[in-house]
Amino acid sequence: MEKKFQRELDSLDKIFDFTSEFISKNKIEESTAFSINLAIEEIFTNMIKYNSDSFNDISLSLKREGNELIICLTDFGVDSFDLTKSEAVDINQSLPERKVGGLGLHLVKNMMDKISYEYKNRNSKVTLIKHLEN
Amino acid sequence: MFDISLNQKGEVLLCGRFDASQVEKAEEVFNSVAQTSTVNFKDLDYISSAGIAILLSTHKRLSNTGDRLTLINMNKHISDVFRLAGLDRIFEIE
Repeated sequence: MEKKFQRELDSLDKIFDFTSEFISKNKIEESTAFSINLAIEEIFTNMIKYNSDSFNDISLSLKREGNELIICLTDFGVDSFDLTKSEAVDINQSLPERKVGGLGLHLVKNMMDKISYEYKNRNSKVTLIKHLEN
Repeated sequence: MFDISLNQKGEVLLCGRFDASQVEKAEEVFNSVAQTSTVNFKDLDYISSAGIAILLSTHKRLSNTGDRLTLINMNKHISDVFRLAGLDRIFEIE
């Protein structure tokens, strides 16, 4: 399944509807569904944030190959920004030390089994892989 | 759908899906919290880093005056997210 979404936060409702359809068709369990939604939201919102000059839609594709779920988000005609090289979050810091931002990609890296980045012809593509148990 | 309200006890009630598109709506309520308060997650299905950032920012602001947020009734998925983020050591979670 593949669909393009306008690069605005209000697209999140449509994205969740799209992923719900995929989750339901593929009988994916609830905890994995939660992780999928969260990972997609975090990557999508980062793409909007770090390429704010672009007006191009962002593509989301979801497919299942055996016990692997493959999620791809592609941002077209943008500068390179490798989300996978984000600064690590120290989760052991105390409250005064903790920064408020930066948690999104930390969560994605911990919830997905693999994350990769590809930049070609001014298109940024993030691929997430999640192993499924059922 | 996302909803946020304050009940008569001063408890913040969250409902539905707290994603990045709901930040402004949530900030209006959390900015009005001025002392130790409880945030009730009973009817909250989902939260992303955008929602967590508002909670953390409010908790940090309150801690400057010795106050805090206590988070109650999280579902397992949300509780897992807080644990992965190391926030189970920052917030009091019941």
